[in-house]
Amino acid sequence: MLTTVAAGRVYDYSYCIGMYSQDGRGFWAPQDFVLGPNGRIYVLSRGVEQLGQRVTKINFDHDFQGQFGSVGEGDGGFVWPRSIDLDRHGRVFLTDEYLNRVTIYSEEGSYRYHWGRSGSGDGQLSGPSGIAFDSQGTVWVVDSLNHRVQSFSQIGEFQSKFGKRGDGDGDLEMPWGICIDRQDNIYVADWGNNRVQKFAPTGELLVKFEGSSAGVGSLKGPSGVAVDSDGDVYVTDWGNHRVQIYAADGQYITALVGDAQEPSPWAQTYIDANPDIIKARRRTDLEPEWRFRRPVAVNVDADDRIIVLESYHHRLQIYNKLKDYEEPLINL
Amino acid sequence: MLLIGAWLSVLGSINGEVVMPHQEDIRLMAHLMRRAGFGDTREELEERVSKGYEAVVEELLYPERQPAIDDELLYRFFPGYEGAGALPINQANWVFRMINTQRPLEEKMALFWHQLFATSNSKVDNPLELTRQIAIFREYGLGTYRDLLVEVAKSPAMIFWLDNQGNRDGAINENWGRELLELFSLGVGNYSEDDIREAARAFTGWTIAPKIPRNPYGRFHWLFDYKPEDHDDREKTFLGYTGNFNGEDIVDIIADQPATARFLARHLYRFFVADEPHVASWNITPPVDPEAIELLADAYNESRGDIRSILRALFNSEFFKNARFARVKSPAELIVGTVRMAGNYEGFKPGLNNLALECGWQGQALLNPPSVEGWHTGSEWIDPGVLMRRVNFAARIFGDVSLPGVQAIVKRVLVNVHVEADYSPQAIVEACLDAMGLLEVSRATHSELIVHAEKCGDLPWSTHEEFRATMRNVSKILTLIAASREYQFA
Repeated sequence: MLTTVAAGRVYDYSYCIGMYSQDGRGFWAPQDFVLGPNGRIYVLSRGVEQLGQRVTKINFDHDFQGQFGSVGEGDGGFVWPRSIDLDRHGRVFLTDEYLNRVTIYSEEGSYRYHWGRSGSGDGQLSGPSGIAFDSQGTVWVVDSLNHRVQSFSQIGEFQSKFGKRGDGDGDLEMPWGICIDRQDNIYVADWGNNRVQKFAPTGELLVKFEGSSAGVGSLKGPSGVAVDSDGDVYVTDWGNHRVQIYAADGQYITALVGDAQEPSPWAQTYIDANPDIIKARRRTDLEPEWRFRRPVAVNVDADDRIIVLESYHHRLQIYNKLKDYEEPLINL
Repeated sequence: MLLIGAWLSVLGSINGEVVMPHQEDIRLMAHLMRRAGFGDTREELEERVSKGYEAVVEELLYPERQPAIDDELLYRFFPGYEGAGALPINQANWVFRMINTQRPLEEKMALFWHQLFATSNSKVDNPLELTRQIAIFREYGLGTYRDLLVEVAKSPAMIFWLDNQGNRDGAINENWGRELLELFSLGVGNYSEDDIREAARAFTGWTIAPKIPRNPYGRFHWLFDYKPEDHDDREKTFLGYTGNFNGEDIVDIIADQPATARFLARHLYRFFVADEPHVASWNITPPVDPEAIELLADAYNESRGDIRSILRALFNSEFFKNARFARVKSPAELIVGTVRMAGNYEGFKPGLNNLALECGWQGQALLNPPSVEGWHTGSEWIDPGVLMRRVNFAARIFGDVSLPGVQAIVKRVLVNVHVEADYSPQAIVEACLDAMGLLEVSRATHSELIVHAEKCGDLPWSTHEEFRATMRNVSKILTLIAASREYQFA
């Protein structure tokens, strides 16, 4: 469905950005993205082995604005880049879950510095994944293989931590993504426990998002989470290839499954260049292509547009949350 | 000496008394695990020996009782592996599974069937579909041959590899039908040209559904499709049977043939027991051990082609138990076995594609066999250049004392030598061979190892400097063992 109506909300599919590319215009196994000033989007590609790792700079109009970073263990390099976020100055903070460090780049991608040490002690990291800033500029990092969340100053000074391995309330099992709302509450994608948990900055558990006991609204390996201006919560249900939507109190609302029936302009250029591909596409059901496959990260912009990144399909799908929607005539 | 106390647990110390399994049991278990898996560490061998040989065989034969590789975890850390279009990445995906599987026979059978149903990326140009074919081998590889043949016939990679998408009523393409009889079941001399044509007619209409082409959004699976309008439903006569056969009817007839039993028996013997000539010469070259082939063929016939039953007979047979080091390791066996023993690439770590490429550089590019006949094995794995690569690869791994498996081997050697208080070169060499899974070497190799062991002294470890020097010295012996002729054999 291009338009999804549920519980008083309306989600209207808009368009998609991106395509597969080992380098340059496109993404390769992208894992995270962040929205910058002036409509810029930074997309982090994981690539494979020694190929394809980079941060791509684009905008909502499909303009390719360059890329930075590459594989390597030296300054500014990365091996297993996982997540990115921007501080209030627009600097790019990037986690590397193999090197166990956070690397900081300028707005345009020049290397600045990095911090992080391997280990399980306070301030040490093992498989850092999600990263987010609160309103005070504190950096919150999902310390995935230590099954906890830690906070740091922007130069890497340890500040606090919460969470431990387990499946009880407030426990974490290989958590992945993170987001922080306007009240500085922290949402953690508790990947191994198939849920999202919302914590106060003190680490106190506030709400769980995991659907009902009957399986409605359930999650399988959630990877990313975002909150809109109404408090609705969006979770990339990575293992089920969908985005689950919940109200602020955890009540399940609906799901998005992907609607990219029209290829992105980049993809269309590729298709148009090959008559055999055009022919082949006319003979087959393209639905597997336009549905989500491994939705991995989600963000909501200032206009409450919901933007979903797909790892497997190397693209972003964009939905509008309509405020002024009117139902079509029922007797059409 | 505190270190020694900590390491005594390695030897299974009980109430202060060191309990050692019978060495011959360890040797036999090591043999079984080199063949039915990719080799075990000394510690794993002891654990298996405690269960008993036949019980371990049964455990291997039912891989579904052990945890499978967690694909969700794999694709979280290696997201680019899922749906990968590149050959080395798909190869790396398989190598990861070979190293980390808790179902060694399942993975070894996948390698066996890949050798038998050799399907190559050189033509298919879709490594993802070849990876899916390997998944068929995992799922059906220990079931009945009949069911496996049907699944392979429906594999889009196989359909494309042998041109069955072009096999239609009135426009027969015999490629699949010919290889089905010649290389996948009966063997040359057990069918006629008419049988090939009739088999091909039965498989008309078995094709691939229209597919979403690769890119711009990655790869999409190919799917089997049966088109009744393209199928020749008229009467056929195949191997003396007459009827309006479809493909599955042909497979039913094939699976019941004594020639199929002998053919598969010889393949299994060649892969699991001892080197044999290449399949292309089987019609003129008798088996090395005809009685063994008959025993395996009988197991096939008695079980109606149940692969698990045939392997049970094989692994429990005397001819198998007596065939230690009678096969040259394939590159995949050598590489995966070495890496497993050295404790490298356990879990998630970058660099698997280099291991996958190494298989190719040593002559076994996974998912890309040289032809439908598969690889030429045995001594044909070896030429001077490849031998150097094999030796250098294994020696480099065992020379890296930072690897946990190498450290475990060295520690075991030190503990063994110090517990026995026998610091003779002979004792050091024996301890090294023991720690590497009771490897058996010739007298000449043994003498060479002794020469080096004479430089080791009494393996001192009182200071960090002594300990590091001793680690290096023992590691050098391990390196020499890995470079020996004997290490090339399974």
